[in-house]
Amino acid sequence: MAGAAVLALVVVAALRRRVRATAPGRRFFRHPTAGLGLFVLAFFVTIAIAAPVVAPYPPHYQIDIAHPDRPPSAQFLLGTDPFSRDVWSRLVYGARVSLGIGAVAMLVAATIGTAVGAVAGYFRRWVDTTLMRLVDVGLAMPRIFVLLMAVALWEHIALWALVLLIGLTGWFGTSRLVRAEVLSLREREFVAAARALGAGAGRVIFRHVLPNAAAPIIVSGALGIGNMMLLEAGLSFLGLGVPSPAPSWGNMIADGWHKMAVAWWSSTFPGLAISLVVMALNAVGDALRDALDPRKEAA
Amino acid sequence: MPTARPRAGLTLAALACLILVAGCERPVGCTGEYCGTIVIASGGEPDILLPPVSEFAITRDVTDQLFLKLADLGLSGNTIGDEDFQPQLAERWEWDAPTTLVFHLDPRARWQDGQAVTAADVAFTYDAYTDTLVNSSFRSSLRQIAAVTTRDSLTVVFRFRQRYPEMFYDAVYHLRILPAHLLREVPRDQWRSTAFGRAPVGDGPYRFVAWKAGESIELAADSTFFLGRPHLRRVIWRFTSDQQVAVTQLLAGDADAVEVLITPDNVQRACADPKIACYPYKGSAYGYVGFNLAAPGDTTRPHPLFGDRDLRRALVMATDRERLLRNVFGDLAKVPPGPVSQLWWIWDPEIRELPYDSGQAARLLTRTGWTDSDGDGIRDKDGRPLAFRLLLPTTSAIRRQYARLLQEQFRTAGVDVQLDEVDFSLFNERARAGRFDAIINTWNTDPTPSSGFPQTWTPAGFGRSNYGRYDNPEVDRLVDRAVTSAASRDQARRAWRAAVETLNRDAPGIFLFATSNVSAIHNRIIDVTIRPDSWLALLRTWRIPADRLTDRDRVER
Amino acid sequence: MVAWLVRRLAASIAIVFAVVTITFFVVHFAHGTPCGTADRPLPPEVCRQLCRRFGCDKPLWVQYVKYLTALAHGDLGESFGLHRPVADALADAIPNTFTLALAALLVDFALGLALGIYQAVRAGRFGDVAVGNVALLVNSMPVFWLGLVLLLVFGQWLRWFPVGGPNNPVLCPHVDSPYCLLDFLWHLTLPALTLGLVGAAATARYQRAAMLDVIRQDYVWTARAKGLRERRVLLVHALRNALLPIITLFGLAFPFLFTGAVLIETVFAWPGMGRLAVNAILQRDYPVVTGAALLTSAMVVLGNLIADALYAVADPRIRVRGGGGSA
Repeated sequence: MAGAAVLALVVVAALRRRVRATAPGRRFFRHPTAGLGLFVLAFFVTIAIAAPVVAPYPPHYQIDIAHPDRPPSAQFLLGTDPFSRDVWSRLVYGARVSLGIGAVAMLVAATIGTAVGAVAGYFRRWVDTTLMRLVDVGLAMPRIFVLLMAVALWEHIALWALVLLIGLTGWFGTSRLVRAEVLSLREREFVAAARALGAGAGRVIFRHVLPNAAAPIIVSGALGIGNMMLLEAGLSFLGLGVPSPAPSWGNMIADGWHKMAVAWWSSTFPGLAISLVVMALNAVGDALRDALDPRKEAA
Repeated sequence: MPTARPRAGLTLAALACLILVAGCERPVGCTGEYCGTIVIASGGEPDILLPPVSEFAITRDVTDQLFLKLADLGLSGNTIGDEDFQPQLAERWEWDAPTTLVFHLDPRARWQDGQAVTAADVAFTYDAYTDTLVNSSFRSSLRQIAAVTTRDSLTVVFRFRQRYPEMFYDAVYHLRILPAHLLREVPRDQWRSTAFGRAPVGDGPYRFVAWKAGESIELAADSTFFLGRPHLRRVIWRFTSDQQVAVTQLLAGDADAVEVLITPDNVQRACADPKIACYPYKGSAYGYVGFNLAAPGDTTRPHPLFGDRDLRRALVMATDRERLLRNVFGDLAKVPPGPVSQLWWIWDPEIRELPYDSGQAARLLTRTGWTDSDGDGIRDKDGRPLAFRLLLPTTSAIRRQYARLLQEQFRTAGVDVQLDEVDFSLFNERARAGRFDAIINTWNTDPTPSSGFPQTWTPAGFGRSNYGRYDNPEVDRLVDRAVTSAASRDQARRAWRAAVETLNRDAPGIFLFATSNVSAIHNRIIDVTIRPDSWLALLRTWRIPADRLTDRDRVER
Repeated sequence: MVAWLVRRLAASIAIVFAVVTITFFVVHFAHGTPCGTADRPLPPEVCRQLCRRFGCDKPLWVQYVKYLTALAHGDLGESFGLHRPVADALADAIPNTFTLALAALLVDFALGLALGIYQAVRAGRFGDVAVGNVALLVNSMPVFWLGLVLLLVFGQWLRWFPVGGPNNPVLCPHVDSPYCLLDFLWHLTLPALTLGLVGAAATARYQRAAMLDVIRQDYVWTARAKGLRERRVLLVHALRNALLPIITLFGLAFPFLFTGAVLIETVFAWPGMGRLAVNAILQRDYPVVTGAALLTSAMVVLGNLIADALYAVADPRIRVRGGGGSA
């Protein structure tokens, strides 16, 4: 654990030195929490990648089932859970699952949202109206109910399908953002120039408009990963997410819930981990927003 | 600025109002010996309050307060003969002939709508219980009774097919007498959904008040009950999502009683609490992993995996039942020597069973062709991995804990187990229809094995409780001998032991636990007697002394 | 103004209609016949009743029309597990979710406003940074995990609050006296606090930004120059204008509240729509789930509509411009 922390620190320090050379980088690090957030993220990503090295036990290994719920100690850093599995090891492997699900779902959402928003914003008129009506409908249904409906209707829903669904229910906000950006960007000269040179709609969108609209997409992406992780945690807590014995931070909380009174560590540490990662993502997202803000750049 | 002071004044006034209102107590209502409300927290909810069509233990707890039997089991729990039974609906009985039993009903017995309980009700009840359209699970327990007829309005005659030790038990224990005048018109195939089942009318010590679906059931004492007015005025069952939440409510003071404390932590906390009294008693439940010996969905073919006896035996030997038990129950259960609960008189730790021997299990698996040929940690044979799905309900924390522990144990033995956690009703449907590979199930047993055991482990239970379709004619023969023709108790015991040992050799399941129950009840409730086969059987004798009534007890409603 | 409102109303109705249609088709195609799947066939009485309602053998559009007519009459079907009409079950559950959401909103706005103002006043100094970071942390917590922790600390360890349920079932099954009202509020505190805390963090951030914007405006300098006390300046002049984003947040809060309510109701055994839906999921009782989904969508749309209307009333600029609002 200490090794991972040092590694993360080194990575962040190096990043900081390089990034501070640029103006956006300086604006980024002006936020006191940005550096800290980056460090936390780097730490968790490091331990997730290096899981087999960092974790002392395999995640589903039940060490001594006759004596479960051991409190944190030198041997079991964060204690053992009701099935006598090392909480720290499961946390580390669970980081892979939770972070992975958050990232993949966010990728799906960002892709679809960007595509829809760009098309709506560029073509306007009836395309815009139809697509935005669709977005309104999508925003009307609370995500968790849609996911609950999906689980109710399809028995044995596969994990990849669930991740896809989480992504599919989360693109609406991004599409609105992208649409607003595209709407304002399409009036700029460089778009007119590209069109005058005979570029087709697709080319204009992808090569000219979107790269300039990247900032809000990246920011909403950073913030969105946090939301996806929280949603996955909620679903796993209800028993509808990642199935056991595979660890995810959400189902670790679910496993230890009933024993909270006597063994608080099984549920507390995964919850703390989620909180820290989401907080770090929020801090980084905020700092990114300031850093990439074109208005500040002009000023 | 004048704005500051009025604001402070307002806050003070609001605070004063709040304190005044909080100090208001509800008006004092009931006083004396016949007050009291008991709130029972339960992790399950009844399906329908009509005894013949429900098998849930919680339903039985409620309906036992609403409906009477002809006679009830005594505290000794002896089911042989008729000396240890207590009169209930029948005030006395006699044997007209070796196979003819005559009951004389108590003329004071009344249905709660005023009508008298008559022999016609008893005959009607027997008819309903044995009717194929009603399809009661108790039907097979009554198979030795040939006919039930009435001699006059207060005399009922039971005629048996043959003479056997537990005749009287069979006649009285299963039948809860129902009101013929209210149920005669209901078509027999609609008993499972009839309105009577949600608002029953009975003749017991308590009458039905209300059922708030998903929340609670309330019963009120019948002050004219002919066997003695119940002391506790109201009984309320409060339903929670599972038993652990029920225990939490008890510990927080929101409930007065729970049937079982389940885990050693709960027992420690509850019994250390000065306001709670603990009552240990012999558990009537046992739990096991049952293998499906037939193919799921097609009972004519054997199961591709579990049709093989050696595979089953290997799995049983690969399971460290002692340590699993220690994790889940601590001291609160024992590893059973077969499908036997601690309540049964045939309980005997000396009964021979398969040992825990992972080495032997591994060798047996290899010998039958299951080896890990592709190095993925899971054994396989002819390209097919040794994998199966384990079915269990989401409502039982115990079974879910066991399932996860077993999953890992089997994985180290090279067996891949996936868990199918489904809701309780779906679980029952699939179990009964045989659509599963293996199942974790618990049975709440009767005080004697003669009704439950054949139903679960002989062909008589096909389509009913014998989910795995286990069938061994030798076991059938031994069980039959033990139930019907054993001349003495020792002979019966020997026959039962032989039956269980034969069954153990076939390994139709892994017998995981037999509970030792500890019930916890608020200590203001005294004179608590718990009969192990049905913990609330003697509820009407429990009471709260007048000087220990709380606000909750005094509510008049 | 009226024209704009009518247009928004029509748009809202269209959205709900679209949700209804999508739900119908999704359920129909996922479930095949109304008589359940081969894996889980429904009991014959239920099947018969469903076919009477939908017309199993009629063409799809006929079934759709029947579905719509049934909905128009408030008939959401019958629950398999509860053996009662879905509309009844929801009618019992909705008031509980509503009170929880309302109480959470109260906590959310009261706390959020107070913190936001405090942060704006102390902008850049230690108080602002400290509160800001704590708010960020709370906003990042899984709402059900926070509920578990609060339940453990305040319910089990300190015994200050009950460990779940909406009331004391023996003394107060209904709220029919001041004592029972207090009992209900006492049971409501922890769940509402949990939901409200997480929302308050976000509200505080918005409010801080809005207040900071407003404080720098000219009319605030004017008020200060006139010699008015700082508190009056803040609360009377600045706040009124900084409240506008709050109204938007009010509309946005609905989806969050319903999502959070689902998890909180499970943790605190609160008998609202969320818990109803979760229990229905575990029993594959899809009429209840789809009914709950439909109802929450309608309420979310309504919430947005109210928020937009409030915004128009509060901000004269919108009224003058003759409308606008969200897409």
